[in-house]
Amino acid sequence: MREVIHQYGVELDWVADIAPKLGGYVDGNHIIVPGEERPGTRYVLRVNDNISVFVIDVSYTEDVVYRLRNTRDDFVGIYFNLTEGDAVHVYDNVTRLVGRWASNLAVFDADLKGDYFVKRGSTTFKMAVFVKKTALKDYFSKEEHYAQVLDAVFDPAQNTIVKYDRMSNHAWWLMNELKNTTATGLLYEVMVRGTVYGILSDYLDQTMNQEIILEKVVQEDIVSIIGSQYHLIEHITEPFPGISTLAAAALMSETKYKKLFKKITGTTPNAFFLTNKLSFAKEKIATGNFTVGEIADQFNFTDASHLIEQFKTAYGITPKEYLTLL
Amino acid sequence: MTSTKIKSLYYYYTLTPQWQEQIVKNLGARLIDNKLLILPEDIASGGSIFLEVAPGLSVHLLDMTFHVQVAITRVPKDHNYYMIYYDIGDEITTHILGDTIHKAGYHSKLGMGFMDCGIKGVIIPPVGERTFSLRLLVDKTYYKSLAATNRSADVTDMLFDESKNTLFFYSHIDSRSKVLLNELKEAHHFSGTSFELKLKHTALYLLNYVVERTARFEPIINKLSQSDIDNVLKTSAYMLANLLTEFPGLPAMAEMAGMSGTKYKGLFKKILKESPLNFFSNEKLLLGQKLLQSGNFQNVNEVAYELGYSNPGYFTKMYKKLFEVSPGEVLVKKNSSSKE
Repeated sequence: MREVIHQYGVELDWVADIAPKLGGYVDGNHIIVPGEERPGTRYVLRVNDNISVFVIDVSYTEDVVYRLRNTRDDFVGIYFNLTEGDAVHVYDNVTRLVGRWASNLAVFDADLKGDYFVKRGSTTFKMAVFVKKTALKDYFSKEEHYAQVLDAVFDPAQNTIVKYDRMSNHAWWLMNELKNTTATGLLYEVMVRGTVYGILSDYLDQTMNQEIILEKVVQEDIVSIIGSQYHLIEHITEPFPGISTLAAAALMSETKYKKLFKKITGTTPNAFFLTNKLSFAKEKIATGNFTVGEIADQFNFTDASHLIEQFKTAYGITPKEYLTLL
Repeated sequence: MTSTKIKSLYYYYTLTPQWQEQIVKNLGARLIDNKLLILPEDIASGGSIFLEVAPGLSVHLLDMTFHVQVAITRVPKDHNYYMIYYDIGDEITTHILGDTIHKAGYHSKLGMGFMDCGIKGVIIPPVGERTFSLRLLVDKTYYKSLAATNRSADVTDMLFDESKNTLFFYSHIDSRSKVLLNELKEAHHFSGTSFELKLKHTALYLLNYVVERTARFEPIINKLSQSDIDNVLKTSAYMLANLLTEFPGLPAMAEMAGMSGTKYKGLFKKILKESPLNFFSNEKLLLGQKLLQSGNFQNVNEVAYELGYSNPGYFTKMYKKLFEVSPGEVLVKKNSSSKE
């Protein structure tokens, strides 16, 4: 297994540092890794004074652990990732698997350490966008929503910027435009720049409507919350374990646990659990092998009508109607 | 109307925001943050935004409703850029290059133009209608290096040798670009936090699309004079304004352009990317598409006759060939029972 201890930043001095650690070398805007099964793209671009991007379009031929240890703290990393779920795992810093990366958009303060494991054979398409905090603050300053809390949001003593989110359909479409472009050389640079501006614009639109939760967060907190999510998914057929149990397992007070869960994932533990329960139930329903009653039983809903009610609230149709649509 | 004196504005672009000062000085516009231009309310409402997107690329987006008639003339200046022009306004913008009025009876217009800053351009925006247009200004050396990624070095050098060739064309906006422009038109206000990022994104994607598109054009190497352009566009404007008649014929069009038939055909193809006859037929069919969808006609035959086809079957055949769908499937029937 390859271990890559590295850093990122808007300034691109990290490129020459990470290339040999990946087993490759720098060639213009590219990092070339010889021996890869298909010629992967690792492309780096300074978009402007405040923004840089790292485009990663590769198939992994070996297991890799990335350990992100930034030395600069003046930027935020916004990671748009089309490799979902299976490929990327979140580790704590002693290389213990704590959970899967179940989101395709992650936002991290440069302050935060991170440890990730990418499995051999996974194919990944990712855009890591690094934005200076001063620029991000300037963007947010034009929104009324942020006016009262702007300084607090960017004060490291009061808040850490972190979020596991879902990218918009439009951002997803843009990333595919870039992935499929036939442009080369300088024209590829035009596409990369254009895509970065597009997905950043989308990201800003998306954040404008989100609740702002001020809290300092360290890597252990994120590991705990991701671990907690992973635990909930692993026990998705059981009843909700209750906040006190979950908080205790995360070694946090209930108040802190609830607050951090919401800040990092944008949803409450209850809502997260129910959404996933329904999503798994939906997959079971789609097989056509079970009655609604059996599924309600399997997933610990009170009864069939309770499942039907929740299903309808979430998806707008009953399980039966859903089945006829398939 | 004829008694009203048309206001005239002369200006030239720069790749930097500096050009906007002319508008402030000559029209009394307000300039905010060196990028937003607001014209006095008695001339127009709305405004425009100008951004430097990347080294060698700037974008100017204009969303205005004019209240008086203004003739806006872009003066040829010794600057080193190409201008790529997109117009998706609600109505026809009367577009004059040189002395040619580019206007059509029905709503036919060519929404996209690619021109050298050395060519003069005049625009008379419609009064009381929303004008929504975007211009990319691209440094010539930069554009050449982008175009070079899609063509051989020989062809690139030939195309960009200004002593032998002028880059210039007029066309419809391609569908991918139209989608981007419509998103921009519908979704945003100039002042939104994410708007400037969105505009930069749009400018860069449009640039990529136009480079890809022009790479498919057959290279026609020819140096164009202002009068060549004016004369050819005079004939395309004439055709666009007379789509309901038959094709006027090459000799008549060449005579209107004041050129030999051979020269006329060559230049027409260079500028409009089609032969005069194909241009005319396609535009006629595009107008046919609009008429079919207008809800003003009872059946396909009516549309065919309106377009001046004496044989409706021929219209159907040609329409199918161009759009790969029969006109009957596109027709929105006139609702005879509803009377206004």
